Amino acid sequence: MRTIIILGAVALIAVFLISQYNRLIRLNITVDEAFAQIEVQLKRRADLIPNLVETVKGYAKHEQSTFDAVVTARAKATSATGVADTAAADGMLTQALRGLLAVAEAYPDLKASTNFLSLQEELATTENKVAFSRQFYNDNVRELNTAVRTIPSSFFAGFAKVGEREFYEVEDPQDRIAPNVKF
Amino acid sequence: MNFRTMQAANRRKTIGLLIGMAILMWCVVYAALTYFGGSSAAIVPIAVGISLISVWGSYYGSDKLVLTMTGAKLIQESDNPKLFGLIQEVIIASGMPMPKVAIVIDSAPNAFATGRNPEHALIAFTTGILDAMDREQLQGVIAHEMAHVANRDTLVSAVAATTAGAIAIVSDMLARMMFFGGRRENNNNANPLALIVSLFILILAPLAAVMLKSAISRKRESLADATAVSFTRNPAGLRSALEVLAADSTVVQQRSTAVAHIWIESPLDSKSVSKMFSTHPPIQERIAVLRSMESLN
Repeated sequence: MRTIIILGAVALIAVFLISQYNRLIRLNITVDEAFAQIEVQLKRRADLIPNLVETVKGYAKHEQSTFDAVVTARAKATSATGVADTAAADGMLTQALRGLLAVAEAYPDLKASTNFLSLQEELATTENKVAFSRQFYNDNVRELNTAVRTIPSSFFAGFAKVGEREFYEVEDPQDRIAPNVKF
Repeated sequence: MNFRTMQAANRRKTIGLLIGMAILMWCVVYAALTYFGGSSAAIVPIAVGISLISVWGSYYGSDKLVLTMTGAKLIQESDNPKLFGLIQEVIIASGMPMPKVAIVIDSAPNAFATGRNPEHALIAFTTGILDAMDREQLQGVIAHEMAHVANRDTLVSAVAATTAGAIAIVSDMLARMMFFGGRRENNNNANPLALIVSLFILILAPLAAVMLKSAISRKRESLADATAVSFTRNPAGLRSALEVLAADSTVVQQRSTAVAHIWIESPLDSKSVSKMFSTHPPIQERIAVLRSMESLN
């Protein structure tokens, strides 16, 4: 009887230890996958840009500085590695693209062209996908970091070789401007 | 109250309602035993069996069954790239697998989700909703439907339907027994008050079961709204989508009332139907809740 109780207790403890360890590993893998998703979506956006720039150029030849900004930002974004670098380059490219679309506003012929409209829709959905993949990544990092820092999972972090991860933070100057209050 | 506490509260209430369902089932069994004696006990497993087979058959094949019942047609990415782009956005936000997508040719704006698990999910939209809504509103609707998938509402409603079905069958069988033979066994020691109470329970149980089932459905709708906001972090999108639905008076040409509960806006509930029996919370109430979430940001 006593051996059964002892064996049962040992088995319960083993299940607890394994589940704690596995949870950390699983969270860590999810964060990796979430970051890969960001990179996939950033790549999609980068692939759209040459076509978009060419289309806008066809109508607005005299906006060379805007085109240059987009092309430079794109080159930086495609060569960036690591969370902080990627996030910084991502923010720059988002800004440059905003500039490009603002330029397009001034050309009614361009805005009416079907090619531009379909590119604009594709860019809109890709921008959203980038934003949602960032959000998904940051949510998972938050969950992982909480697990790494709270008891009891914090005891297993060293053993599982899982540590806190970096948030994906995009510097967006527009975020610092207080939003307009509408009534 | 933010979407996280809202999600937790709605989950607790669903569990409470499911427990209520179990208690009701127990009351029915107890009443049957009191009124008819031990021989009626055999009815319970039979009723549960019949209900299980009918409900779980449809649960397992829900994605295919609902397609035929609503007349929805599956579409591919090339058929509507814009819609697929929007769905992919929500997929990325929620971290779920891509569902099958279908279109119902109907000018009334509406949408639904079904499927026994996220891997077999199906979401469908009427042509009316695709025409009536802008990007942001449609994104809110898609998030609401994917929230049903994520919360496994097909499973929850199948559990509710099984219990309600079993209770209905038990009551029905006992009513027939009463009509044809009355009390088979004379258990003289039974308290007359207990007998009267038992009779009342047997008569009222099916009604109570339907009310509980509707209450569960309403809670799952509120939960799906809250979960949708946790995906998009944009209560305004879903709120303005619901406003479009509220302003529109056309109703989907339903082929079957059996699938009424799966649509985002109920095709059945009108003002004449009591709130106790409606499968959806009042749309103005849902709009008000989403508005309160907006004011938090």
